[in-house]
Amino acid sequence: MNAAVDLSSQPKPVLSCRDLHKVYRMGEVDVRALDGVDFSLFPGELLVLLGVSGSGKSTLLNILGGLDIPSAGQVYFGEEELTQADDEALTLYRRRNVGFVFQFYNLIPSLTARENVALVTDIAQDPLEPAESLALVGLADRMDHFPAQLSGGEQQRVAIARAIAKRPALLLCDEPTGALDFKTGILVLDVIDRVNRELGTSTVIITHNAPIAALANRVVTLADGRVQSERVVAKRAKPSEIRW
Amino acid sequence: MQVSALTRKLWREAQSLKGQILTIALVLAGGIACFIALRGTYSSLEWAREAYYDRYRFADVFASLERAPESLVNRIERLDGVAAVQTRIVKEVALPIEGTTLPAYGRLLSLPASGSPATNALYLRSGRLPQRGATDEVALLEPFANKNGLTVGQRVPVILNGTLRQLRIVGLVLSPEFVYAIRPGALVDDPRRYAVLWMDRSVLASAFELDGAFNDVSLRLQPGASEAGVCAALDRLLEPWGGDGAIGRSNQVSNRILTQELSQLRALAGMVPMVFLGVAAFLVNRVLSRLISLQRSEIATLKAIGYLNAEVGRHYFALVGIVLLPGALLGTVLGWELGRRVLGLYGDVFRFPDLSFRLSSSLLGSAWLVSCLAAMGAAFFAVRSAVRLAPAEAMRPPAPAHYQRGLFERLGLAAAIGATGMMVVREVARRPLRTAVSAVGIAGAVALIILARFGSDSIARYFEATFRREQRQDLSVTFSRPVSERAVGQLARTPGVITAEGQRGIPIRVRHDHRVRDSVLVGLPEHSELRRLVEHGGREVPVPSDGVLLTKTLGQILDVRVGDRVDLDVRQGKRLPVHPLVAGFVDESVGLFVYGKQELIEALERDVGAVSSVLLTVEPDARANVVAELRRSPYVVDVDDVREDIQRLRDMNQSIMDVWTVVSIILGTSVVFGVVYNNARIALTARSRDLASLRVLGFSRREVASILIWSLALDVLLAIPLGLWLGRAWAHLFMLSVDQETFRWEVIISPRTYLLAAVVAALAAAASALWVGRSLDRLDLIGVLKTRE
Repeated sequence: MNAAVDLSSQPKPVLSCRDLHKVYRMGEVDVRALDGVDFSLFPGELLVLLGVSGSGKSTLLNILGGLDIPSAGQVYFGEEELTQADDEALTLYRRRNVGFVFQFYNLIPSLTARENVALVTDIAQDPLEPAESLALVGLADRMDHFPAQLSGGEQQRVAIARAIAKRPALLLCDEPTGALDFKTGILVLDVIDRVNRELGTSTVIITHNAPIAALANRVVTLADGRVQSERVVAKRAKPSEIRW
Repeated sequence: MQVSALTRKLWREAQSLKGQILTIALVLAGGIACFIALRGTYSSLEWAREAYYDRYRFADVFASLERAPESLVNRIERLDGVAAVQTRIVKEVALPIEGTTLPAYGRLLSLPASGSPATNALYLRSGRLPQRGATDEVALLEPFANKNGLTVGQRVPVILNGTLRQLRIVGLVLSPEFVYAIRPGALVDDPRRYAVLWMDRSVLASAFELDGAFNDVSLRLQPGASEAGVCAALDRLLEPWGGDGAIGRSNQVSNRILTQELSQLRALAGMVPMVFLGVAAFLVNRVLSRLISLQRSEIATLKAIGYLNAEVGRHYFALVGIVLLPGALLGTVLGWELGRRVLGLYGDVFRFPDLSFRLSSSLLGSAWLVSCLAAMGAAFFAVRSAVRLAPAEAMRPPAPAHYQRGLFERLGLAAAIGATGMMVVREVARRPLRTAVSAVGIAGAVALIILARFGSDSIARYFEATFRREQRQDLSVTFSRPVSERAVGQLARTPGVITAEGQRGIPIRVRHDHRVRDSVLVGLPEHSELRRLVEHGGREVPVPSDGVLLTKTLGQILDVRVGDRVDLDVRQGKRLPVHPLVAGFVDESVGLFVYGKQELIEALERDVGAVSSVLLTVEPDARANVVAELRRSPYVVDVDDVREDIQRLRDMNQSIMDVWTVVSIILGTSVVFGVVYNNARIALTARSRDLASLRVLGFSRREVASILIWSLALDVLLAIPLGLWLGRAWAHLFMLSVDQETFRWEVIISPRTYLLAAVVAALAAAASALWVGRSLDRLDLIGVLKTRE
């Protein structure tokens, strides 16, 4: 798979949203988490959503992943409008198309690495074998360990293995290195980068960590719930080349 | 077989929750066991009764009379609603068995000349029935034979119409008429001293000069026939022949006592399992709610990766299944075993040909269904919260718990208990409903122990009242027919006798408007020393010079007030109707009586000074001699030792009460242990961060433990007084729900019972708190602080 996606030809986006708003009511005040966001994700693309804490990036990711619904605006997965979908349709959308990687891994502590992955392969159509998926993230020899027996980096790699085991169309990563030290963080980014390049999974990484943007095909910066800037990266860096 | 990852998660979580699952399963098992044991015993007894009555043609209507010609049968048969008629000869007899201190008495009944009786057929345990014309053959009610070591082939001495006969036992039998064989007028059955015998009718007819006649008749009715109508018609037919008044099944002694026992059992079966199922439901809800709040992020993850709400819901419901399954299995086994034992206790008292514990599929099904509904219903609300959790929201930690300053602070008490004390107070104040429900659960266990014990206490009080105040005689002597007052004087002069007091009792039927009851009119001397009428409160009620006193319950049944007149139909002798004034009521625990002056009966019966029984107090060491003397009198049909009667009733009750006490303590302990253990476990997981923080700040283990223990102790301290009150209320409710016509125990709960219930609850709570407290020693200070909320 070619790492450099040709954006000039403008293929149809795999995921897009128009004029997205999200308002939370916190006690007496309304908090505008998203305030008119337009956004597209193209097939095979690795996109970094950059923003400081509170900029609305996690809210956007949750809506894109079908975990949350916007107050206004539309979200499309291909031709399908997610904003019209009910709870069950959203669940099936997640089940079939979306792989999540969270900042705090969100592994099930009572299940081993292999079983955490199996949680997904049990319900997915045509998934990878859990062992195969774990091998992809370099954990072939840690498959029968429980989360508590794994380091933070290893736990995050299990989470990635779990996310990619269903061969998702989308890989959505919410601060995947947020809870990790630099060295481990690079290792995890390397796995995400590899998945994107080798499996061609359209990937969104959200982070407040600007150097990570160098990995992307495209970088979208959010501030105060709006898209502040958008730029195409001429040459994607390798994870080993970045520093923070 | 491929086990899904979600199933593995379920099993692992079940393992980590095994203590909680086990305690809830035990409480649930307690509920199911009680449900099965009590309802099973009830339905087994009821089934045995119905099958026995039906198969052995237990009569619907009974009547005794002086003597009527056999030809009357045709007229009885023609009465509307009558299906079958069986006439008999029935006589009270004495059995002077060697080697017994008190004499044995019995009822001798005739068997028809040919074929099986149309009513009240006999179940042959061993041997055969007496043959036609066999003058010395007798069949004996089995319990009497067993108690006296008599078997088929042996002889038993019986006085037939004044002649001592040695009758040969040819068969041992049971009868639907004598499921509970009790001597007329006795408090409790005494199979050692009360015999029921059957002989061929022709032999009895010649012995008692009743050829071509009968003195007892029983009927089977057609379906839908009016029992009251048939009784009234039969009474009219038998009146010229000295009829005593017909009674229906509900007034037949054996059946009435059995029915009363069944009504008590049914009341228990309705109440007791509900405590357990309620507590189990509460615990399921508590544990599952806590688990779900701890697993917010896991639930969110499951949903994020595409699990449907229904799949998430099923996953948590399956955890309830893991509690239910062992609870149901254990409960079923325990219930079956307990039921068999309890039924065995009943089987010693109520004699059925076939009494076995019947665990029907409908009983089993309803036990499981009720427990399943209770647990699943309680789980529903917890699981619903899991299902409703929006995945994005669940990714965020729950909002910090909301606390506020409360009454305690406003009263300025905060300083007195310090910051750790306030942690306890605020925790309770924040969740008052949870505290209340925990307290109610524990209170239920306390109440259960009281419910199991109050019967003993009430009976003990009844004994004390009867013994010390109401019936102060040592022996009561009953004559075969009223004797002259001189007999009292003669007995008083018997060596060893201290006091002798005559008493007269005649069977009557009391009426007021359309309400009717059979009773005994007891005539007492003006200044009776040995037989006193005492109210529940202990006040002695004097015998009125004009009018009669009624047992309070009889007054209620007949709906009469002081100043009303009642109709008394005497059921023997001259049979003159009288209409005395109701002068007052006696609030007694046993039976339905009418009391009047001895002169009232003398006026009714037109005989002066006659007595039907004499009450005696005797020198303790002269008792045996006095009894021996009395046995020589041909007029004495019964000598009754009140203390022995009471002791036997106490023994009988004690064995049943002891079983209930032990069972209630075990079950109550399991409830308290289950509630406290689960509360403690939940408090520990919910607050481990706070507690570890305190440890890091320099609090000792003991200080940290005291915070946890005080929160738990508050539940128990609230629960115990509530439980004591609830137990009392429950006992009253129980007494209201059982048939009150024969026994009306005043609800008495001794301080010992209160103390026992409180101590059991406190000990069970302490044991479970200590058990959980061990976990505090293993609190991982650093690990806990690192745990993400």
